[in-house]
Amino acid sequence: MTLYLLRRSGAGVLVLFGITLLTFVVFFALSPDPAVTICGKTCTPERIETIRGVLGLDQPFLVQYGDFLRGLFVGRSFGVGENAVQCAAPCLGFSFQTNQPVLQMIAARIPQTVTVAVGAAVLWLLVGVSGGLLGAIKRGTVWDRAAMLTALGGISLPNYFLALLLQYVLVVRLQVLPFPDSSIGLTEDPGGWFGSYLMPWAVLAFGYASLYLRLTRDTVLDTLSENYVRTGRAKGLPRGLLLRRYALRPSMVPVVTLFGMDFAGLLAGALITETVFGINGVGKLAADSITTNDQPVIMAVTLLAALLVVVGNIAVDVFYTLLDPRVRVSQ
Amino acid sequence: MTAQGTHGDATPLLRVDDLRISVPGREGPLEVVHGLSFAVDVGRTLGIVGESGSGKSMTSLAVMSLLPPGAAASGSVRLRTQEHPGGEELLSGGTARLRALRGDRMAMVFQDPLSCLNPYYRVGVQIAEAHRAHRGSTRRQARTLAVDVLGRVGIPRPHQRVDDHPYQFSGGMRQRIMIAMALVCEPDLLIADEPTTALDVTVQAQILALLSDLQREFGTGMIYITHDLAVVSQVAEEILVLRGGHPVEHGTAEQIFSDPQQDYTRELLDAVPRIDDPVPARGGTR
Repeated sequence: MTLYLLRRSGAGVLVLFGITLLTFVVFFALSPDPAVTICGKTCTPERIETIRGVLGLDQPFLVQYGDFLRGLFVGRSFGVGENAVQCAAPCLGFSFQTNQPVLQMIAARIPQTVTVAVGAAVLWLLVGVSGGLLGAIKRGTVWDRAAMLTALGGISLPNYFLALLLQYVLVVRLQVLPFPDSSIGLTEDPGGWFGSYLMPWAVLAFGYASLYLRLTRDTVLDTLSENYVRTGRAKGLPRGLLLRRYALRPSMVPVVTLFGMDFAGLLAGALITETVFGINGVGKLAADSITTNDQPVIMAVTLLAALLVVVGNIAVDVFYTLLDPRVRVSQ
Repeated sequence: MTAQGTHGDATPLLRVDDLRISVPGREGPLEVVHGLSFAVDVGRTLGIVGESGSGKSMTSLAVMSLLPPGAAASGSVRLRTQEHPGGEELLSGGTARLRALRGDRMAMVFQDPLSCLNPYYRVGVQIAEAHRAHRGSTRRQARTLAVDVLGRVGIPRPHQRVDDHPYQFSGGMRQRIMIAMALVCEPDLLIADEPTTALDVTVQAQILALLSDLQREFGTGMIYITHDLAVVSQVAEEILVLRGGHPVEHGTAEQIFSDPQQDYTRELLDAVPRIDDPVPARGGTR
């Protein structure tokens, strides 16, 4: 198991390197000169040159990439002499827009994004898995059909549209919810905190919940035709126990697989949700930095997203061995 | 040998009368079992013999009230229980009552032990769960019991194997585990549906011997379902031959083997290879 984890982690690190390189190439080849952006409207060619020198933009591609990697692992400094700015490892550089260290900017916004992501994940797992199980048991009834229809809606409806719709109906017209304010802390005002995040959770979770509902329903239906379910019934087990051990547990493998990937890829979903609801999280930071072509920030967010996907995949594999005893032999 | 208490005043353990089973067909319900009647008494074995599609498995599922959705049974299936010494009707029984009887007073062993065991749980848990559900034993008691039952059905080192998963056992061992699961509550009635068909001949003999031993020990009434007359001749005192859902012949094992009344039974008997058969002229019959 340890060996397996080491091998997977090694491969993960390689993937991350590949992604930094690719992102770097894209910026180097395609993006407009950041020095011009930083310099602003009243700008002289000399100042542009100075900025390029400080940021190392006058260096060849490989040197720039090397500097970036060095900053990541041992730290680096920008500029020379007494004006040099130190940046300790792991250094992700400074924002072209605000001059703040990128690491700090991201760290400050992670709690909001984690709140949005975890809350949505809990919601969609609860709704998706229990709804799917119910649909499978009550197959063909009105409940099953209503759930499937809603799920179809959830899959087809883009979440930015749903976000605007909910905001208009619940906040503007009915005024049952406040406008989301991500600066409210959980400890200061639990009610306000909950009200603020309720819509983002629902919006982010709806599409996923629909997907998980259909997946769970179909998997449970498959499982219910297994021979061992009949054995369980022949034992006269209570209904709840029978469903849990003989229907739900065997159906969890595909759900967990999908969940690992989805949760890791959630940053993309958070980007839209956070932007629409004005939540100051990593997703909104990503959206803002893309609009302003803030290269170090985009770079850092991309790296974070890639890291999540890599870690998520490894986590799924580890979870497999816990979920399905038969996987344990073949390690 | 008399006809096993199916006559006379004493109520048999299980009495099935005019059992008819229909499954949904393209043009309405399709009857697949046409009026079966038989009885099983404590400590006795009834062999139900027939080819595929003869309705033998449907019959066993009907007795357990485990027919697949859509299938319907009529007639009468009466099980003698502590609460109802005169027998209680199972076909009209409530869900809760049937659940209480299944696994406790009547249990079943299925054909393919791998697909019939839950791959996600340790065998100890699967053996113990019926006992925990029916008798309310604690986790610890149930585990001790599981080790004990595993030992009785001939699993070596039961205190270690109790924590293994089904895939870690061989086919014969898995069938022993199925039997352990069925016997954990010491049921009055055991239905074995082709329990040795998926096993090789040596293991088959071991399982048959095990079933007979356990039956002697617990006094279980047994229905043994098979397509193989050679197998049933080793375990059953009474035999019911089915064809296309109709009872073809019904009598003691002796009667059927020494003096089959129907052509179909004779055909089945002739299909059984015997050790004193002449060697076929051209390299075997396979």
